[in-house]
Amino acid sequence: MRSGAWKYWALSAASLLGGGSAWAAPHDGGIDFQAPVTETAKHIHAFHNEVLIIIVAISIFVTALLIWVMVRYNKRANPVPKKFSHNTLVEILWTVIPVLILVWIAKGSFPLLYEQDVLPEQAKEEEIVDIKVYGNMWFWDYTYNVGTDNEFNVESRMLKVGAPDPSLELKPARGDIAQLSVNNPMVAPVGKYIRLKISAKDVIHAWAMPQFMLKVDAMPGRLNQLWFKVDEPGVFYGQCSELCGKDHSNMPIELRIVTEQQYVEWQRLFKESPEAARAYLDQVRPRPAQIASAQ
Amino acid sequence: MAGDVKHDYHLVKPSPWPLLGSLSLLLMVLGGAGYMKGLWFIPQHAWWGPLPGLVALIFVLIGWWGDVLKESRAGDHKEVVQISLRYGMVLFIASEVMFFVAWFWEFFEMAIFHQLRALPEHADLANNPGLAGWSEWPVPQTNGARVKPFDPFHLPLINTLILLLSGTTVTWAHHALQVGDRKSAKIGLLLTILLGMAFTAFQVVEYSEAGFSYDGSIYGSAFFMATGFHGAHVVIGTIMLMVCLGRLMAGGMKPEKHLGFEFAAWYWHFVDVVWLFLFAFVYVAPHIVWGSGAPGAGH
Amino acid sequence: MSSEPKTAAGHGHDHGHGHGHDHAHDHHDPKWYSPSRWLFSTNHKDIGTLYLMFAMCAGIIGFVFSGFMRAELAEPGLQLFNGTAFGGFFGSEHNYNVITTMHGLIMIFFMVMPALIGGFGNWFVPLMIGAPDMAMPRMNNISFWLLPVSFFLLLLSMFVPGPAGANGFGGGWVLYPPLSGTTGHPGLAMDLVIFSLHLAGMSSILGAINFIVTILNMRAPGMTLHKMPLFAWSVLITAFLLVLALPVLAGALTMLLTDRNFGSKFFEVSGGGDPVLFQHLFWFFGHPEVYIMILPGFGIVSHVISTFSRKPIFGYLAMAYAMVAIGFIGFIVWAHHMYTVGMDVDTQAYFVAATMVIAVPTGVKIFSWIATMWGGSIEFKVPMLWAIGFIFLFTLGGVTGVVLANAGVDHALHDTYYVVAHFHYVLSLGAVFTLFCGWYYWFEKMWGIKYNGFIGGLHFWLMFVGSNLIFFPQHFLGLQGMPRRYVDYAVAFREWHHWSTIGYWIAAAATIVFFIGILEAVVRRRKATESGNPWGEGATTLEWTLSSPPPFHQYNDLPRFK
Ligand code: HEA
Ligand code: HEA
Ligand code: CUA
Ligand SMILES: [Cu+2]
Repeated sequence: MRSGAWKYWALSAASLLGGGSAWAAPHDGGIDFQAPVTETAKHIHAFHNEVLIIIVAISIFVTALLIWVMVRYNKRANPVPKKFSHNTLVEILWTVIPVLILVWIAKGSFPLLYEQDVLPEQAKEEEIVDIKVYGNMWFWDYTYNVGTDNEFNVESRMLKVGAPDPSLELKPARGDIAQLSVNNPMVAPVGKYIRLKISAKDVIHAWAMPQFMLKVDAMPGRLNQLWFKVDEPGVFYGQCSELCGKDHSNMPIELRIVTEQQYVEWQRLFKESPEAARAYLDQVRPRPAQIASAQ
Repeated sequence: MAGDVKHDYHLVKPSPWPLLGSLSLLLMVLGGAGYMKGLWFIPQHAWWGPLPGLVALIFVLIGWWGDVLKESRAGDHKEVVQISLRYGMVLFIASEVMFFVAWFWEFFEMAIFHQLRALPEHADLANNPGLAGWSEWPVPQTNGARVKPFDPFHLPLINTLILLLSGTTVTWAHHALQVGDRKSAKIGLLLTILLGMAFTAFQVVEYSEAGFSYDGSIYGSAFFMATGFHGAHVVIGTIMLMVCLGRLMAGGMKPEKHLGFEFAAWYWHFVDVVWLFLFAFVYVAPHIVWGSGAPGAGH
Repeated sequence: MSSEPKTAAGHGHDHGHGHGHDHAHDHHDPKWYSPSRWLFSTNHKDIGTLYLMFAMCAGIIGFVFSGFMRAELAEPGLQLFNGTAFGGFFGSEHNYNVITTMHGLIMIFFMVMPALIGGFGNWFVPLMIGAPDMAMPRMNNISFWLLPVSFFLLLLSMFVPGPAGANGFGGGWVLYPPLSGTTGHPGLAMDLVIFSLHLAGMSSILGAINFIVTILNMRAPGMTLHKMPLFAWSVLITAFLLVLALPVLAGALTMLLTDRNFGSKFFEVSGGGDPVLFQHLFWFFGHPEVYIMILPGFGIVSHVISTFSRKPIFGYLAMAYAMVAIGFIGFIVWAHHMYTVGMDVDTQAYFVAATMVIAVPTGVKIFSWIATMWGGSIEFKVPMLWAIGFIFLFTLGGVTGVVLANAGVDHALHDTYYVVAHFHYVLSLGAVFTLFCGWYYWFEKMWGIKYNGFIGGLHFWLMFVGSNLIFFPQHFLGLQGMPRRYVDYAVAFREWHHWSTIGYWIAAAATIVFFIGILEAVVRRRKATESGNPWGEGATTLEWTLSSPPPFHQYNDLPRFK
């Protein structure tokens, strides 16, 4: 395969499908992945585009064949059916060619899988930030600085309109998005290798971040791991992705990627007052206005 | 059936048993549900919950298999029908094998990979008190008690020998029946039944001495589920053999045609083989790898 | 579109007797209204009919449930499941999960399987292989009767306590613990679901044994396995999958049951158990299960394509062995449903490779169907519409499966609507299309009356448009990140959900047209083609040599093959 040509088509398809626009959240009528943010996510996105082209081509090919036989070999066009039922050459072709296509897909797929799952070796110890993530019915909690004097825990609950608890009230004017925004977002520094240790305390949940193309189950009794590295500050949304009961759809994930200093400052503020810490985050990381206006 | 039938297949007459059988199963299952959680007029933990259904089911089975016997005597089971029945029994046993696959899968995965989930990082996972214990196999009971597995070379070994011996006696009986030596057939069958009962008895003794329980930890659950289901199959097999003996005494079973006997014997061999696997992998292998009664000693 | 009778069937087999030989024992046939004929049946055609009627009832319920879901999802926010709508009839968010779970279980265990395997399998396997009945007719009947019983338990589960303070089991058709354990659903509902599936499993295992025995032992003299019609092949392979896969599910369910009620610790973390193990056991059954649902459809489509192209099936042996290959590989790919549980990355890589391999034999089938049409003389009768529609839609569903097979991508798509779109393309637009394909193909053979071709065509086109509109946009939703099993969603997902619900109404119209079609045919009673073969020379299998409907007992004198 001339991968150069494929890349070209992949890219044009990507822009056609809206992959180029940098929405920071799902957007109405979108037909592609949310814009990928991390390096790995970009690679997976490109890979998906290539596979997409292949499967579209296969589907078009099958459809074209169907249309052709329907037109050429219908009763009127071909009153007397032929009687053949074998053709060794085409049988070999339609076995071998799919094999080759699949091998080609696999060739792109395996390296990505490893890239995504395995923390790169060049990551130095001081560049790694560990955060513990627990799924609960029905909220997330995050533990920072695990094992140090500075360890502290943040509970993260969905905001909603008319919540009994005023601190959980959704305020669209502030840029809150229904079903996606939370009271205490998860916070992580930019440019570091963030390593999440994920588990759950009751039933299975799943921590998912579409723009990083990541998802892993929060499994009671297991400690799953996930890593990512984001090079630009931003606000990202994910949602619990394993059925966990009544409020499965009400335990979103809101992630703020901030600079190193802001991360430290947020920690300090959080221990004084979660509300102040939140306000601080909103101040340093305003959320995309167009999303607010979409409310 | 109609007079012009020119084949040997058995077109069975309409029968109430399937419908009644399903309904008895429904009754039994509802009773079981009642026993477990309370349902309608069945209070929770009422031991008799599943009983009505079970009794009904037994009646249905007697009626059903009684009909089969009658049809067989009436000559409905021609050569080709017998082949069908044989295939059927083989497939039934195949499905039973897959049933046991589930227990073995559970046991193997837990015995071999239990440590994977007990990495050092897990130790500080709050809220998961069992974690520390996972580095050991057998996993300690939830009350903290250590599990002392059975020594395979006492009762289990005797039971292995018993089952192996019973495999030979049932073959003896079968051979005797084929050559028309009904007396030896009866003795062989009787011996097999006694051996089967002995196995069950020893199993009961062994269970009563267990140093762990079904609800203690994954070890006890996996152990009792696998050996318990095997034990249930031994009991079923013994009953099948008893029915055969009864029919032999009553003058049934011909040297050239005795499917019921054959099936009971196949089933018995299946039970035997399953036991060999249990003995090798649930009793002996862990004993060799981890030693007996010294949890974690292998590490 | 209803068909003109063709000249005598050109089946080319020397089957040793003519049509209309049923007169010999007419006086033995029970009347259709005789209750014992249906309650105590030992006749494969009657039992097949029972299965079909049962599947239809279950299908309606599953279909109505999907309507509840689509109505809820038409807009963001809570429409039905908000505790107040319709006097609180629909309950809270939990009840949405219950409805989704029941929809999945019903469609799979009580609609597709009973219809394709129990219904068409019972009706046509014996007819096609020249057997007078199934090998074990009485056992055949209990296979059927276990189903209503099992279905009753499933429905009952919706009305008894599930999680604290609510009724029914809402943990998804995959029943993952701890949500399905005492942690998530301490109440009786889940126990009833387990019992229901135990009984449904028994039913399927017994039925499968019956099919295997029948096919291996009761083929007409001279019909070797390599001359056997593809539908019989497909049922044979399906039956093997059932016998080997279902007991493992039964085992997993039993462990779950004792975990819930007798304190065992199989999936209980505190005692050293592991919920992931349940997933392994479940999917070891679950993946073969998806092929169980589609293989009989493959068989049906093969006959229909060949019949209406008036051309023998292309590459018959390759077709048969492709199904064997699919069945075999189907047992070694299960963990592609579990890429996100935290599996070792090498293991994931293995499952990626194994899963993609299945595309090859499936491709062989797709291309062989097209090659069968190639050079043929195609008539677009209603069954053929469904068959061609199936090939197209199944290909779409299949290729998205290949996307999902790549673990790297699946980490993004798992548990999103992309998966929902994938499996409805292979099920609701795959298996269900083959179901309707078989329904129209054999309608006249089974009931002895003709369907109305116009209504059948309308049914097809409405369904084709409707179900594509339901499920195609769900790919977009999935890519955008919309998670599955969500009763409520962010406003940003509104657009495509909206279209999807509109599609549902079109599919609903189609389903109504389907039943109108049945009603019309019953009322008009157009007489079936005299020869028993309305489709002409293309229809070569044995059932077309019999009258329509076939005699109560066929082949008293066995057909013979050269
Ligand atoms: C009838 C049922 C059916 C069928 C036939 C299939 C067929 C396939 N399925 Fe699907 N699947 C389901 C029913 C089915 N599936 C269900 C119900 C679920 C969800 C369960 C749940 O979670 O609730 C699921 C989920 C599912 C997942 C898990 C997704 C997730 O949860 O994250 C995956 C991943 O690998 C997958 C893959 C495949 C593949 C590779 C095939 C292949 O067999 C497809 C092969 C066919 C083709 C590829 C098309 C024809 C071929 C050609 C034209 C040749 C050329 C093609 C190429 C070279 C690519 N399926
Ligand atoms: C065969 C399987 C099957 C079929 C046919 C369908 C059909 C449909 N399903 Fe689906 N569905 C599942 C299997 C199926 N489904 C499964 C397994 C799940 C996952 C459950 C879970 O998450 O646990 C699911 C989940 C699911 C969801 C996701 C819910 C969620 O995640 O929150 C949605 C949402 O739109 C949906 C909608 C529909 C719709 C609109 C149809 C429509 O196509 C319905 C239109 C009607 C018909 C296609 C046929 C009607 C048939 C008859 C009337 C019988 C005819 C009988 C004879 C001729 C004998 N289904
Ligand atoms: Cu938590 Cu879904
Ligand atoms: Cu699968």
